Amino acid sequence: MTTSKDAAGDTAGVAAGGGAGGGPGGAAVLDVADLHVEFDTHGGIVKAVRGASFSVRQGKTLAIVGESGCGKSVSVQSIMGLIPMPPGRITRGVARLDGIDIIKQKIINGEEVRGNRVGMIFQDPMSALNPTMRVGDQIAETLQVHRGLSKRHAFARAVEVLATTHIPEADARAKQYPFAFSGGMLQRAMIAMAIACEPDVLIADEPTTALDVTIQAQILDLLEELQRKNGMAIVLITHDLGVVARMADDVAVMYAGEIVESGSVDDVFYRSAHPYTMGLKAAMPSYATSKAIGLRPIEGTPPDLFDPPAGCGYFARCPHAMRLCDPHSPHRFEVGPEHHARCWLHHPSAPRGAAELYRGEPV
Amino acid sequence: MSALVEARGVTKHFPLGRGRTVHAVDDVSLTIAAQEIVGLVGESGSGKSTFGKTLVGLHDKTAGDVYLEGEKLPTRYTAADYRRYARRMQMIFQDPYSSLNPRMTVGEIIGEGPRLHGGGSGATAREEVGRWLERVGLDRGHAARYPHELSGGQRQRVGIARALVLEPTFVVCDEPISALDVSVQAQIVRLLGEIKADLGLTLLFIAHDLSMVRYVSDRMAVMYLGSLVEVGRSDDVYFRPLHPYTKILVASNPEPDPRSERQRATIPIAGEIPSPVNIRAGCRFATRCPEVMAVCRTVTPELRAMTDGADERRVACHLYEPASEMRRV
Amino acid sequence: MSVALRFSAADFEPVATERTLQAASRPSLSYWQDTWRRLKQNRRASASLGTVVALGALAVAGPWVWRVDPSAQDVDQISQAPAWPPSALIVEPYTAWGGVTAEPTQPGDVVTDVRLAEPATTQAVRLVWEPVIGAAGYVVYRSVYDPAPDRALGLPVGEMVGANRASFEDRLDLEPRRYWYSVVVMDGSRAERETYAALVVDAVRTVSAEDAESRGWAQNAGALEPGDRIDLPYHPLGTDYLGRDLFARLMYGARVSLFIGVVAPLLFVLVGIVWGSAAGFMGGRADQLLMRFADFVIALPFLLFVILFKIAFGIGPGESGVFPMLVALVLLGWPSTARLVRGQILQVRQEGYVSASQLLGARTSYLVFRHMIPQTMGVILVTLTFAVPSAIFTEAFLSFIGMGVAPPTPSWGSMANEGIRTMLSHPHELLFPAVIISVTVLAFNLLGDGLRDALDVRMRGRE
Repeated sequence: MTTSKDAAGDTAGVAAGGGAGGGPGGAAVLDVADLHVEFDTHGGIVKAVRGASFSVRQGKTLAIVGESGCGKSVSVQSIMGLIPMPPGRITRGVARLDGIDIIKQKIINGEEVRGNRVGMIFQDPMSALNPTMRVGDQIAETLQVHRGLSKRHAFARAVEVLATTHIPEADARAKQYPFAFSGGMLQRAMIAMAIACEPDVLIADEPTTALDVTIQAQILDLLEELQRKNGMAIVLITHDLGVVARMADDVAVMYAGEIVESGSVDDVFYRSAHPYTMGLKAAMPSYATSKAIGLRPIEGTPPDLFDPPAGCGYFARCPHAMRLCDPHSPHRFEVGPEHHARCWLHHPSAPRGAAELYRGEPV
Repeated sequence: MSALVEARGVTKHFPLGRGRTVHAVDDVSLTIAAQEIVGLVGESGSGKSTFGKTLVGLHDKTAGDVYLEGEKLPTRYTAADYRRYARRMQMIFQDPYSSLNPRMTVGEIIGEGPRLHGGGSGATAREEVGRWLERVGLDRGHAARYPHELSGGQRQRVGIARALVLEPTFVVCDEPISALDVSVQAQIVRLLGEIKADLGLTLLFIAHDLSMVRYVSDRMAVMYLGSLVEVGRSDDVYFRPLHPYTKILVASNPEPDPRSERQRATIPIAGEIPSPVNIRAGCRFATRCPEVMAVCRTVTPELRAMTDGADERRVACHLYEPASEMRRV
Repeated sequence: MSVALRFSAADFEPVATERTLQAASRPSLSYWQDTWRRLKQNRRASASLGTVVALGALAVAGPWVWRVDPSAQDVDQISQAPAWPPSALIVEPYTAWGGVTAEPTQPGDVVTDVRLAEPATTQAVRLVWEPVIGAAGYVVYRSVYDPAPDRALGLPVGEMVGANRASFEDRLDLEPRRYWYSVVVMDGSRAERETYAALVVDAVRTVSAEDAESRGWAQNAGALEPGDRIDLPYHPLGTDYLGRDLFARLMYGARVSLFIGVVAPLLFVLVGIVWGSAAGFMGGRADQLLMRFADFVIALPFLLFVILFKIAFGIGPGESGVFPMLVALVLLGWPSTARLVRGQILQVRQEGYVSASQLLGARTSYLVFRHMIPQTMGVILVTLTFAVPSAIFTEAFLSFIGMGVAPPTPSWGSMANEGIRTMLSHPHELLFPAVIISVTVLAFNLLGDGLRDALDVRMRGRE
């Protein structure tokens, strides 16, 4: 394991597989290390992602959780090349698919990465689908481009793929235009488009945020079923801890452009090691919340990424902040097997009392 | 418990022309006691927002009546009617990005209510605006700012201050937190709780996040396609749902607890929400109900009380009709 | 920073943090202030705004600074191209010239040694040459172009009979410019020889002292001596075919064009706002009725109505038709604004803040004026900015075809019309009005573009 030091003095264990790829079995299919993404705006440079590392194993689901502005969407979009690179910039980091850095290389072994080896679905299906093309044609398009199928052949295959997403009467639906579809059906169509080429990784960027809860359940079921059938890895970006609990095998919690905690889903939920994770859980109602205990909001707002703090990004809102947290950005500590957290509370010299607060069931 | 607000058979239809009507709200009867928080949940197309707006008079009632402290409210509101009830009934709106006039400062927005009711715009008015800003957790200096300079959570606080500055007794909260981040939602919910206790408010809390509604409300009502399907104490409805739709809704609601999620059995729900245009007789949920019976397709079930008193539970389902030992389909 | 960070126990002491809401740090800008800032940043739009303001200043203040009557004709400088201020040399008044005769000594087909007897002036050009034997006479041609390429000798200005005639004085319409004089030998049968002798002559503007005073170029003839130079009235952009100062005409024309270009749109936008707001707010049948009428008005032919109004107002063919043009523009131009405003109102009606205000007890008029119409201001401003060049161009077009402003009132369109006649010989007469029309229309359009960009982002809301 190589250790590399960056300007902030971070002795992070950055190596292949150094992210939230915990657990035995399943090699890391997509492995992102030390990603830094910036944007030029008229107000200055926004450091949207500041050193994110995560990986997803084959056939497993990684959930990247965070609130708006934490950089989770930007991370995956920048890897996929969906961010316009004049105002945006990847200043550092690698994203390895099969060991090859897809940030630099868009084609691996003669096959395109985007749309082919890695599929992606987005939050708002209405704007992700072309309203002037039939749905079947749009699915067929990716097959024509990446698999070289003929138009007729591709369309027939598109209908098959659409049927696997449990859209009733897939052959009739494929000939319709997006406006005739409801929200849930559009999302299924988008999933069909993304999996048509049988990708190794499916990136789902808030795929159910805009859907009703019953439709969300259907879509999440569908994603699980497709994962079982195709063996593909899923990177699921969401802000809903319930969805994470339901779908994820591994979790990476993101805040202010950094991954603050990563590990298996049980680790992150039951042995939370970062104050932000604890804060999120305490702020979300669950079946266990009662009026007696109540919700405990996280005070304050996330930091301004025009001028990110030199120290821990969560310092201003952390109920357990210590003096060294402000000037020094925390290292990434190993809290358990394949369980990491960026928090000084896990420094060997940290008072045991404080560290113990985080080793227990969620409050 | 005295009923502060009572809705009897409230119906709202939107004509589309050519004989087609959207049945947004159909025959909804609901009682809200003084200082109670009643939650109203439903998915898109359930009509919950329309019901909330009809309750405060922003929509004319197609049928039915609303009573506020025993007084019958007009079916159609004129500007004078709004003025008369402004100090008693208000609304907090959903989208903090479009519910504040981008051309007005925060101070002007909050001060509009007092201004319209003879408060003027002098030093006393400014003082009141400042007081309310602090009360909702903002800085007094924010009064000179414009909405686009505030974050979503801050804007929603302004919306709350605007609705409460006239100190109404009853407030409809139409999805007040749906557009906000998770950590901010909890802040706003806590703020609402504090102010509710201070002013002794009665709230109708409309949302689609089941867990949040259960936490916030005393009683919970579930709507599907314009009708109420179940009403009862929040914990009862959530943990012991009776109506098949409520069961599915609760089962679909993901909980932030991986073990419980792994063990949970999902109840599959078939199909999509049907169109609210020209609804026929029969239970609206019949097309998707896993426990549907022959009678469900022809006879519309009524909202029937299962228990009495404070723990009253009402369900609109043929499964719970007294003579309901009928054959299942 | 060093790799191995050493911490002491004190570093781990808990610290109370400021967990308050973040105060907005940047200065507060209102909607219009922000729009203005955004507009200034857009360089094209700023330049256009500057141009528009300059044009306005030209129209309003220009005639005070450049006090020249646009109708006054300067016959000495007809169709004058823009140049430096012309001057004239004072000379003695004209006296007749006897001419020169000489006996030919050489035979030949063409005269030789064509030269000036004295410096060429606009009073007279006096040529002398060596005559040839065998000539029955000579013909003198004058051209403003070099005759060399194809023997286009130009205008015959003189014909002399007699072999010994050796001079010629030209006084025909002399202008201070370059002339090519060609002398051709004529034989007995009055046929001309092929060859010719040419001389390039630059005539210098001269005037006698009395003439100078009578033309108003000098105050006192007595104070002038031959050899003095006096300045002629200066026309920086030249003059038109009647000798009128183009600069003054452009400025007065600016007044006419901008008057119509600004007043007409203001009026029809106002009508459009009232109409569109009423339709959007009332909705239902009233809305349908109002908008169907608007559709009807759009279908009416504009030019026909200008003519109709001209007749209706009893304005004859030679009279100025500003008023009917204005009326036609206003009566036929409002529907597009009405439609835009109606669309905005329909959209704004559903916004949360309108409902909130309603619920607080606001009256309808308050809602409309305080909440709805201000939201439409952006759209209206952009509409106005695009309507202005359209109106200016319409006015120019109407004046061009004779339906608008009549002479001598200057208007850019009528100036362009007049300039067509001398397009090839004096292109500046067409160029200036055409350029200023183009620049004005372009400036307003770019300004409208820039305004729309500056407002659009705001309209969508920023996060």
